Amino acid sequence: MLKVQMRSMLVTSLRDKITLFYSLLLPIVLMFGLAIFFDNPEQQLHIICGVTAISTVFWGMQGIAFQVHWQRSRGVYKLLMLTPMPLMQFIAVMIVARTVIGVAMNWSIWLIGMLSFGMKLTAWSIGLTQLIIMIGTICFTSIGFVIANAARNEAQINMLSNLLQMPMIFMSSAFYSLDGAPAWVAFIGKLLPFEHYTNLISTMQSAGSSISILSLIVLVLYIMIAILIASITFRWDTNQLMLKSSTA
Amino acid sequence: MYIEAKGLVKQYGKRMILNNIDVSIQAHEIIAIIGPNGAGKSTMLEMLIGLQKPSSGTIWHWDTAYKGKIGVQLQAVPFFPGLSAMENLLLFASFYKKSISKEEAMKCLRICGIHDAAHTEAAKLSGGQQKRLAIAVAIIHEPTLLFLDEPTAALDPRNRQDIHNLMLELQQQGKTIVFTSHDMDEVHQLATRVLVIDQGKIIAAGEPAELCNKYDAASLTQLYMKLTREDECYA
Repeated sequence: MLKVQMRSMLVTSLRDKITLFYSLLLPIVLMFGLAIFFDNPEQQLHIICGVTAISTVFWGMQGIAFQVHWQRSRGVYKLLMLTPMPLMQFIAVMIVARTVIGVAMNWSIWLIGMLSFGMKLTAWSIGLTQLIIMIGTICFTSIGFVIANAARNEAQINMLSNLLQMPMIFMSSAFYSLDGAPAWVAFIGKLLPFEHYTNLISTMQSAGSSISILSLIVLVLYIMIAILIASITFRWDTNQLMLKSSTA
Repeated sequence: MYIEAKGLVKQYGKRMILNNIDVSIQAHEIIAIIGPNGAGKSTMLEMLIGLQKPSSGTIWHWDTAYKGKIGVQLQAVPFFPGLSAMENLLLFASFYKKSISKEEAMKCLRICGIHDAAHTEAAKLSGGQQKRLAIAVAIIHEPTLLFLDEPTAALDPRNRQDIHNLMLELQQQGKTIVFTSHDMDEVHQLATRVLVIDQGKIIAAGEPAELCNKYDAASLTQLYMKLTREDECYA
C-alpha cells in the first residue's frame, strides 16, 4: 500500500511542470547566467551554493503549499477522513516523496554547477551536501505547510511565500557579502533559516571545514517549530475555520 | 438499518443550519435528498458520513468501523494532478488499505463505463468521465453504503442516463445509495424514498408516488414547488 502511495506521490510531483520549472530549470539558467557574469571562482562557488539554496526554498515552500492547498480545496482530505488511513500518514508520505525529489533535484543543480565550473569535488562534500539539502528541504517544506494552512487561496500562498522568501533571500549572504550592510539586516538574516542553510552548503565546500553546529541547530529548530505550528493549524477542509460564516 | 439520526441540530452562532432532523437509512434503499440551495442537504450528508459533528442530537451507525465501509462522491473532484484515471483509482484503493491489481481496477472502471480513458490524466477527462471516475473511487473498496452528492450535476442527458443506469445496477448488487439532486425527473426515476429539506428541516419524506398523492401534486417538480420557498436559503 505504502509503495503505491509513494509511487503516486513521486509521479504527481514529477509531473508538476510549473514547480519543476521554478525549482529546476530556472535555478540552472540563473546559475549559469550569474556564474558566467562573475568569472571569479570564489564568487562562482558562492553562486552555485546560493542558487541551490534558492531552488530548495522554491521547491519546499511554494511547492508543498500549492499542493496541500489544491488537495484540500478539491476535497482530498475530506475523502481521506472517510478512509481507514490516518491523514497524517498520507501527509508524511507526501513529505517524504517531495523530500526525495527535492534532494535529487537540488543536489543535481549543485553537481551540475560544480562540474560545469570546474570546482573541486570531494567524497566528503558530495555526501554531506546531500545530507544538508535533505535537512533544508524538510525545513522549507515544513514552513510551506504552515503557509498552506494560513492561506485561503492561491493568491495568498504567493503573497505569504514572497513575504517570507524575499527577506530571507535578500538578508542573506547567499549572493553577496553582508559586511557592508547595516547591522540590523545581518542580525535579522541570521535569525532566518535561509542564511544558515546557505552557510551550511557553502562552508562544506572547503576542504577540511567543519559543519556549523549553530546553523544546523537553527534549521532543526525551525523544522520542529514549523511542524508544531503546521499540526496545530492543519485544516482538512477549506472552510474549516470559516464555518461560522459559511453556507450549508 | 445502516444509520439512524435523531434530533440532529447544526448551528453556527445564531444561524440554524439543521433543525431537529430525524432520519434513518435502511438497507437496499435509494434515498434522494432534495431541497433548495443552502437548505442543509450537504451539511446533513456530511453529518451522516461523519465529516461534521452535530451541535446536538445523535447519529447511530451500524458498524463502529463504518468509515471504511461507505463510499462517498463529493461535489468537488478530488483527483491527483498528473495521475491517470487508473493511477488515481489504485491510489484511492490504497487509502482503504485495499491492494488491488490493475485488472481489478480496470474492472471497476469498466463497471463505471470509463475503461477507455483508464490511462488518460484524470484532470483531462470530460465532466461526465470525471463523475464516473469519482463514482469508481467511491466503489473501489466495495462499500455497502454509497453517498453521492449531486452525481449528475452539469452532465449532458446521455451521461446522466449512464449514471442513472449505474446507480440502479449498484442497487441491484445490494448497495444502499443516498444522493442529493436538483433534478426531479432523476429523483422520480431512481429514488425509493425522498427527503425534502428546507430551511434546515425535513418538511416531507416518503416514496415519490406516496408524496405526490399526499400533497396532491402531479409530479415531484410540482411537489417541490409547493413545499419549498421561492427564495434560496443562505443559511
